[in-house]
Amino acid sequence: MHGSLAPIAWIVVGYGVIVATAAVVGLALKAPRPRWLDQLAWMLELLCVVLGLGALGSLLQGHRPPSMETHVGYLAALVCIMPVAILSMREERESWSSGVVAVAAVATVVVAVRLMVTR
Amino acid sequence: MTEQIGPQPKRGPHLVLMACYALFILASGSRAIVQIATQFHVAPFAYVLSAVAGVTYVVGWFAIRRAARGRPRLAEVMLWVELAGVVVVGTLSLVKKDWFPDASVWSDYGGGYGWVPAVLPIAALFWLHRTHEKNDPEEGTA
Repeated sequence: MHGSLAPIAWIVVGYGVIVATAAVVGLALKAPRPRWLDQLAWMLELLCVVLGLGALGSLLQGHRPPSMETHVGYLAALVCIMPVAILSMREERESWSSGVVAVAAVATVVVAVRLMVTR
Repeated sequence: MTEQIGPQPKRGPHLVLMACYALFILASGSRAIVQIATQFHVAPFAYVLSAVAGVTYVVGWFAIRRAARGRPRLAEVMLWVELAGVVVVGTLSLVKKDWFPDASVWSDYGGGYGWVPAVLPIAALFWLHRTHEKNDPEEGTA
């Protein structure tokens, strides 16, 4: 990943922490998962896609990370985790489904950090 | 709000547990596949153990799913197997460092993954114990 993408990666990390916190609060309150949490999560996904496309572009321009397999794996995980989590919970709106969103957001944050480390 | 009747809850903490297991299937499985495919000679023992961890998470995911639907037997076995794996591999990685030139998923009790691999089977066993206790009267009549 090119150095210029680091700010986007940090935005993903910061925003992911906000989404995870909101989901944990929803879980703690035992409230049904609100629609706005889904919207927050999809916004995080949009940021991940932007970061993923940027990283892909930097790979296509010839940038080679130390471990290409690991880097591409993290890229794929970054883009796929949140949609899989939300779509698997689309029929389920009870409070524990917010926990699934929290897990996915934390995982996205971890993957974004790992992506910066392996760039 | 509708009230669920019956011994097989489809809602609850197991959703979060299954999400965590799915993540670890992805993390440990892809890690093991890449390491075995590209650098198996570096640390064969550690990489095979990572693959074993990946398989354990797959079975654990199905076991929790079954347990949530009222069939806890597989989970009762698998979660203890998983916890034993974390403890044994974690201890070996500290005592026999030369066996682990590279880390496996359960090295240092899952320290490379924020010790979530050590916490996960304990949390799942706790959930299983509570769910099982709640469902015992229904199981007796089933």
